Amino acid sequence: MSTASATDTADVAQVVEEPEGGRLRGLARLQVLQIVLLLFVTVAVFSILRPDTFLTLFNFRGILQNTSILAVLGVGMTFVIITGGIDLSIGSVLVFSGVVADKVMAAQGGQGWGTVLLGAGVAVLSGLAWGLLNGFLVAKGKVAPLIVTLGSLSAALGFAQIITGGLDLRDAPRKLVDKIGFGNVAGQVPTLAVIAALVVVGGMILLHRTRFGLYTYAVGSNAEAGRRVGVNVDRHLIKVYALAGLLAGFGGILNLAFFQSTTIGGQSNTALNVIAGVAIGGTSLFGGVGTVFGTVMGLFIPIVLQNGFIQINVQPFWQQVVVGAVLVAVVYIDQARRTAAVRGGSRPRLPFLSRSGSRTRKETE
Amino acid sequence: MNRRTALVVGTAVAVLATTAACSSGSSSSGSGSSGGGSKTYNLAFIPGVAGDAFYITMQCGIQAEAQKEGATVKVQAPQKFDPTLQTPILQSVISSKPDAILIAPTDVSAMQAPIAQAKQQGIKVVLVDTTLSDPSVAESAIASDNSGGGKAAFDAIKQLAPNGGKVLGIGVQPGISTTDARDKGFGDAAKADSKFQYLGVQYSQNDPAKAAQQVSAALQKDPDIVGVFASNLFSAEGAATGIRQAGKQNQVKVVGFDAGPDQIKALQDGTVQALIAQQPATIGTDGVQQAIKALKGQPTTKSIKTGFTIITKDNLTSSEGQAAAYKASC
Repeated sequence: MSTASATDTADVAQVVEEPEGGRLRGLARLQVLQIVLLLFVTVAVFSILRPDTFLTLFNFRGILQNTSILAVLGVGMTFVIITGGIDLSIGSVLVFSGVVADKVMAAQGGQGWGTVLLGAGVAVLSGLAWGLLNGFLVAKGKVAPLIVTLGSLSAALGFAQIITGGLDLRDAPRKLVDKIGFGNVAGQVPTLAVIAALVVVGGMILLHRTRFGLYTYAVGSNAEAGRRVGVNVDRHLIKVYALAGLLAGFGGILNLAFFQSTTIGGQSNTALNVIAGVAIGGTSLFGGVGTVFGTVMGLFIPIVLQNGFIQINVQPFWQQVVVGAVLVAVVYIDQARRTAAVRGGSRPRLPFLSRSGSRTRKETE
Repeated sequence: MNRRTALVVGTAVAVLATTAACSSGSSSSGSGSSGGGSKTYNLAFIPGVAGDAFYITMQCGIQAEAQKEGATVKVQAPQKFDPTLQTPILQSVISSKPDAILIAPTDVSAMQAPIAQAKQQGIKVVLVDTTLSDPSVAESAIASDNSGGGKAAFDAIKQLAPNGGKVLGIGVQPGISTTDARDKGFGDAAKADSKFQYLGVQYSQNDPAKAAQQVSAALQKDPDIVGVFASNLFSAEGAATGIRQAGKQNQVKVVGFDAGPDQIKALQDGTVQALIAQQPATIGTDGVQQAIKALKGQPTTKSIKTGFTIITKDNLTSSEGQAAAYKASC
């Protein structure tokens, strides 16, 4: 905020708060409310069906732990999708960062905090590098985000397999596993969940309380208007993809802490699961609308469903069916509302399929 | 808008209620932890992957034995053989508070801490098939004696080629504990027999084309090879192709590992001449027995190694061969 003059910020705010924009943001808030309600009802149903096992401290700790890494990834993905883009590469970037961090920590030796910090730094930088590459190709190379990140999805996993020869590495230092992966803060709160909560709160502040966040909405809701009031759209897109990559890299070290293994084969659906959570949480794939809080709520739904289904002994395959149905139903309702809100306007196209993400805009068609 | 919200929530509730109703038929469990002689134990089984004949056969053994003991079994499997998918399933199963968990860990180190959590919650754990880097958290670890499996493969080659000769191993890739032990068991048995000459093991990287090249190259160098032990299905298929390329189908015998529907078909087609079948049903039966012993406070056997059955075309249709073949359903 500090370097922006008051008028600049006001101009950008106007881009975001265009006549229909205000209404859309109100709707986003409503949708978050709806998803909180859905989550609450899901928890209530399982609690009634299995009161003695579902409503336990151990179970809620498990649900929190299993959502934590996805939540860290979800923060970055929310920013990317608000710009009207998409990032399919985060699962592979997570694996790549975990592999590089594992190699560096093994070379360094030691089981203490020094090695852990070194590994975390290396993982974050590896993720950042992939994010910068994605962002540069999207913003400057004008390649559609879907294609760019599909490419890095494949390439990052390929590099991880080249480095490891396809076999998982398991050199996580003991401090990392004992204190972060399975450690607790203040008694019974999993460290992993605390770290994820800090990232989520940081993401909320960044998105809703800073110029960076305002520009993210501006780029996603009307890139051309943003450019005219002085937003450097290309540079901002690079920053947003870099943030997503950085958080994926951070997810890599958390993943190493939790699984003590680089899980090369286990992350092929991670990006899609995170995108589903972002969409369920009310962030529009058309860009310009969304919240980090909604994403976190959206990520909880599949995890709670899987947990509950196992407890009532339903085949886990059903979880996928129900999550798919919830995803489409929630987005359909969101879409119907949005169309009603911008009545008269044409339906927006999916911008991440177009030449360069956020550039295409219904007004300019 | 409120009506729409209500619709979503209502649909979700309906779906949940329906699936819950479906499930209520499949298990009737008496929960609670009251003691007593006629206590019904609740067991949970978490295989390495869903829809695999080896684990399905193990599940059949577990369910049959549990029924005998008057225990109930719930089965929840990950969709891939991967710790990232197995961990959340294990955590949910632990939350549902079964008396004992039978699990095939998908990773020796990644599953260590999650399984230790089960023990902390007072649940008895039995490892079936695969194991952990520190198996002491479990009451018992039951697995095939893979080195013995390699020896059984050599015995099969001895049956098929009684006059002796050169033998070759086709492995998957180095660093997998189970297949490494099979290759080593095969090599040791072959070296110990003076009539046979062991040519070592080649790694096919699970690629049939590579296995074919390796076998045909080996046949160029040593035209008098009599037997090939391929420690998994793709290696066996590739080895058979390489032998056919060299026109030596009648001279070289291929012995494969495992007896799932694909492997049985390869045996029927004559691609392989013998299969070394593990005994997953026995692993399951032993697992239930050890779990129940642990629950009753009786001493358990920390490590149990199960044996193998050699299946050839001759005994495939016999009751022995039929019992050894893995099942696609109970």
